[in-house]
Amino acid sequence: MHNAQQRPQHALPLNLVEAINRALFQAMSDDHRVVLLGEDIATNGGVFRATEGLKAHFGFRRVMDTPLAENLIAGLSVGMASQGLKPVAEIQFMGFIYAALEQLISHAARLRHRTRGRLSCPLVIRAPFGGGIHAPEHHSESTEALFAHVPGLRVVIPSSPARAYGLLRAAISCPDPVLFLEPKRLYRLQRLPVDLDDVPLPLDRCFTLRPGEDITLVSWGAMIHETLAAADHLAQAGIKAEVIDVATLNPLDRDTLVASVSKTGRAVIVHEAPFTGGFGAEIAATLASDALMQLRAPVTRVTGYDTPMPYFAMEREYMPSVERIVEAAKQQMEY
Amino acid sequence: MPYFTLPDLGEGLQEAEIVEWHVNEGDSVKVDDLLLSVETAKAIVDIPSPRDGIIGSLFVRNGDLIHTGEPLLAFAGDEGTGSQTVVGNLESQDDSDNQDHFVIGAVTEGHHFGGATPAIRALAQHLGVNLEQLRGSGPNGSITFEDVQQNANLKHSHGDSTPLKGVARSMAKTMASAGQQVVPVSLFDQTSIRHWAAHTDITLRLIQAIVAGCQAEPALNAWFDGNTLSMRVVEKIDLGIAVDTPDGLFVPVLRDVGNRKPDDLREGLDRLRHDVRNRKIPAKELQGATLTLSNFGTLGGRFATPVVVPPQVAIVGAGKRFIQPGINNGALFEDVQLPLSLTFDHRALNGGQAARFLAALLADLSAPPM
Repeated sequence: MHNAQQRPQHALPLNLVEAINRALFQAMSDDHRVVLLGEDIATNGGVFRATEGLKAHFGFRRVMDTPLAENLIAGLSVGMASQGLKPVAEIQFMGFIYAALEQLISHAARLRHRTRGRLSCPLVIRAPFGGGIHAPEHHSESTEALFAHVPGLRVVIPSSPARAYGLLRAAISCPDPVLFLEPKRLYRLQRLPVDLDDVPLPLDRCFTLRPGEDITLVSWGAMIHETLAAADHLAQAGIKAEVIDVATLNPLDRDTLVASVSKTGRAVIVHEAPFTGGFGAEIAATLASDALMQLRAPVTRVTGYDTPMPYFAMEREYMPSVERIVEAAKQQMEY
Repeated sequence: MPYFTLPDLGEGLQEAEIVEWHVNEGDSVKVDDLLLSVETAKAIVDIPSPRDGIIGSLFVRNGDLIHTGEPLLAFAGDEGTGSQTVVGNLESQDDSDNQDHFVIGAVTEGHHFGGATPAIRALAQHLGVNLEQLRGSGPNGSITFEDVQQNANLKHSHGDSTPLKGVARSMAKTMASAGQQVVPVSLFDQTSIRHWAAHTDITLRLIQAIVAGCQAEPALNAWFDGNTLSMRVVEKIDLGIAVDTPDGLFVPVLRDVGNRKPDDLREGLDRLRHDVRNRKIPAKELQGATLTLSNFGTLGGRFATPVVVPPQVAIVGAGKRFIQPGINNGALFEDVQLPLSLTFDHRALNGGQAARFLAALLADLSAPPM
């Protein structure tokens, strides 16, 4: 847990995928019930090397390579979790997760409810998500809105190595299912301080990354990078933007969002997922109902377009750019 | 690139057989070091290393058949991505700012404004009403349509209302606060100054008279604390002098009037007036008065009930001198009277003290000129 003034004492500079690796290592050391499964995660250490070294350390019984079958991975996880293990399964890319929807929505998310608490499902599904890395089709998905809509399933999205570490540890400790979406574009982008001894972060709070008074910029995942850059641009124009990382989409910390926009009166929501039905709509509706009295301008969303993610050449046009965010913010200041 | 694939060996040859590896996994190689030999249909070809590095995994064994473009080996420790095409290009950057500060939850200071819906804000803007100045009568103190409408109507019929600023604002606040604390009683009297010389410095004589009054009743030169109900009688007389200016009322302080010569006092007075009029008076010259004189007679009016400003306990007001008939041994003469008002705080002083002070003050004014 950090407040804005504190620096972690024992902080290592790690990038996001290294932080994930350390969090898995730490969780597996602390609790022998934590097991990993997924495609290519054991022997190869994962296509992004997120699980590197873990099989060597913990053995093949706890770090398992599965066949290429996502519904199997999810179904196995549900079974393991309901019987006392704490599986952390990797879906290699979010684009492959749809075969697992049945297991996640019909079973994982409902097990506690269905059994009146007798059984629960403490599984974590990790999946790299998001675009901007020139990957082929199905490798740039950003469909977090589908999952945030499911009661009983938490959707958690880190945006920095420290938050990835803290949130993943919390997700593994959580007694209910968590979908942990890792913004792959940020995997190796920066090394930032991570306090390995720090307490796990809460799984139902937003984080204020930068305080401001004039406008609130809300985002999550890799787009936090562009949003912070936009805040810098706006600062140069004399506009002090507050930046909020939603981090956990479900359950949504509405209080923090409403408090921030009540202070600033303006909100721009940024996500790379398509516009219609994107999670930004949920936040916009919350602000319209709970912060209406303080709004000075309409809440706007800067998002991907209502098309599949295009291939390499057009990818840059699709993803919300710093310019688009700055433009949307400046328009709001006109009111 | 993480995978080293079989390069185009030329002459339209698409495949080759691995003859012999010259390196093992874990070996360190430099650019152009010999990696392996392959046999094509035409010849045995040696393949050099494209870069410095450490050999990671070998993908083919001696005797395997391989085609142009297929992976031969991977170099180790290269931020290993698995298959580059699928995993894509992961950027990394050395960032100037290596900080990652964040706060859980919101960062807010207290919230004040009752708020108004966007529709009402738009209406207010259209009608030229400033929402910050309105008090809302809606839910949670929010501003309603009626609030805006009423304010707009008032503005239309009776003109705009502007908030007080600067000197006027502080006067409003000071007087309001004084009014809530002080229990004022005023005493009025007048005295003949017919015997004064033609160009007598009236303010200076008033100051001297006040000094005489304080000698008779020192308690009027004091500070009273209404919270602790305690009184501090001060020996040094720091006299506040009310000065009227186009910017408003100022009360600079003339220090230690009891121990200064008349010329010094006059010079001090002039300097204070000058600095006030030019707005050059420093804040501390406006603070710390133990008693105040308001010589409003320079403008007009006879008697008044000037306001006592805590922690002071009294204020002397001098009005405009006026002519009235006098009688001396049955004969009428033209007399000149100076009207005086004394307001005191009855929490700290009683009528006897005030009356004695005023009597001494008047006696001094009646005394022959210096």
